[in-house]
Amino acid sequence: MEKYRQSVSRSAPGCVVILLDRSDSMKLAWGRTGASLADGAALAVNNILLDMCIKATTEVNAPVRHYFDVGIFSYGARVTEPGEGVESAFGGALAGRGLVPLPELAEHPMAVREEPSIDLMPVAARMPVWVDPLHGHRTPMCQAIAVAGAHVFDWAAAHPDSFPPIVVNITDGMVTDSPYDGATLQDWARRLTSIETNDGATLFFNVFLSPFEVTEIVFPSDPGGLPPPGPDLFALSSPLPRPMADNARVDGYDVRPGARGLAFNVGRSTLLRVLQIGTRVPDRAR
Amino acid sequence: MNHTRQVVFYAPKHGNTEAEWEDGAAAAPAAGDGRGPRFAVADGATQGFGSARWAQQLVAGFVGDQGAAPDLTAAALHRWASDMQGRWHDDPRLAGATDLQRLKQATVGSFATFLGCELRDLAGPRPRWTAVAVGDAVLFHVRGHRVVSQFPPIPPEGFGSNPDGLPTHAAGLADMVGRASFAEGDLADGDLLYLATDAFAQWVAAADRRDPRALWTTLAALDHPEAFRALVAGRRAAREMVNDDVTLLRVRLDRRPAEHLVVCL
Repeated sequence: MEKYRQSVSRSAPGCVVILLDRSDSMKLAWGRTGASLADGAALAVNNILLDMCIKATTEVNAPVRHYFDVGIFSYGARVTEPGEGVESAFGGALAGRGLVPLPELAEHPMAVREEPSIDLMPVAARMPVWVDPLHGHRTPMCQAIAVAGAHVFDWAAAHPDSFPPIVVNITDGMVTDSPYDGATLQDWARRLTSIETNDGATLFFNVFLSPFEVTEIVFPSDPGGLPPPGPDLFALSSPLPRPMADNARVDGYDVRPGARGLAFNVGRSTLLRVLQIGTRVPDRAR
Repeated sequence: MNHTRQVVFYAPKHGNTEAEWEDGAAAAPAAGDGRGPRFAVADGATQGFGSARWAQQLVAGFVGDQGAAPDLTAAALHRWASDMQGRWHDDPRLAGATDLQRLKQATVGSFATFLGCELRDLAGPRPRWTAVAVGDAVLFHVRGHRVVSQFPPIPPEGFGSNPDGLPTHAAGLADMVGRASFAEGDLADGDLLYLATDAFAQWVAAADRRDPRALWTTLAALDHPEAFRALVAGRRAAREMVNDDVTLLRVRLDRRPAEHLVVCL
């Protein structure tokens, strides 16, 4: 039977996990924005969380619907203690939490404040914020996958009929902790994507940020021509399942057979679009 | 003189509660101004805000329960839908909205497919139905075990891809009303009209190809909400029907007036 067909509902919620690189190199300015990669990544994560809350908001006097459990795990600099490591990136009341049900997420942003437009329009808007920008130290990506994978494993066991977990890794650098606990980055990615629900295997998508204004490559079907670490990230990334490929085509991307969930050298607005495509699971339009 | 007997069946998405049904259905007898009996169904967008209110307001408005009911012309439909939009935005319940709810109302709003039908000349020489549709809610006109007409004529594989519907925001209204379609058909004693929202209509259109006699016998014999829900649950389990809110409004034409009012408890 075809996989990745399950629609998201409260009886079969989905799971979205974002791995957020907080290594030192995220301090670099992102193109012409004047802000750092860390600033832009946090802005995109907060935007996608707000998108998810908005989609699950259906009526006055009704709570946000529990369509997703959401986790944001950072790797690199830590907020909770000095030094390098992996931790929940949520701030405020959700600090330290792993996967958080969407209604609880909607209730507990760490702040509501003026934030710039992600597409560089000269406007700002008040919006809820769950994650702050931070950068420092190296890039313990293996450990991040290991920590997130433990949460994903438990979640999949508890939700066997749901759309499989979606894990999106936002990074600008090379892994610095491979091998970790005796396993390479490729091993950790394989372990992660071996976690399944009845609707398919966990999806692992990668978004590589570049501080320079270079050509964006989104959902490639061939690693040829990708500069390092593109080919490695291509190999780690899951093939785009049909619902996401359809989403991407609707958004104007030329998605070819064999396309992977990889976006390379992306700018801020593309990062948000890729997050939107990667987290939009099957749903009835009406 | 033809009389009408109507019944509405509905079911929310599997996994949702009764209160989360986001379709609408309404019926009203002939009005004193010469207007015939009216029937309507609508299907609110799952991803919208206040979709149930919007769908239910549209059907109530069309049958004359909220303001003046529209004539079945594009110009009248546009005026009426604008009025409906104003009422939806001014709903006093919105006073209690959270910031997130206000944001979604302002930026997304809602949207609903709509099908409205009026029966005319039921006491005259040419009894007929006349209808307007925006989107893929469907009217099936059935005589015996045969479909006399389907409006709009959407094949089973054509559902789910039609983006038409009535929006809550003014910006898209003129375009959508311009895409409304109108039709009419002559009625005979014993005819049945079925108004269905898309998930059920899609299944009906497919089942009519496979075994029309079985289909129309089953639908004509539905006599209790639980029988309808059992039918829907079975077809969903067989993956013949999409897991969506479903609504079926059945209207039967009969020369005899109804002798009983049936209430299902």
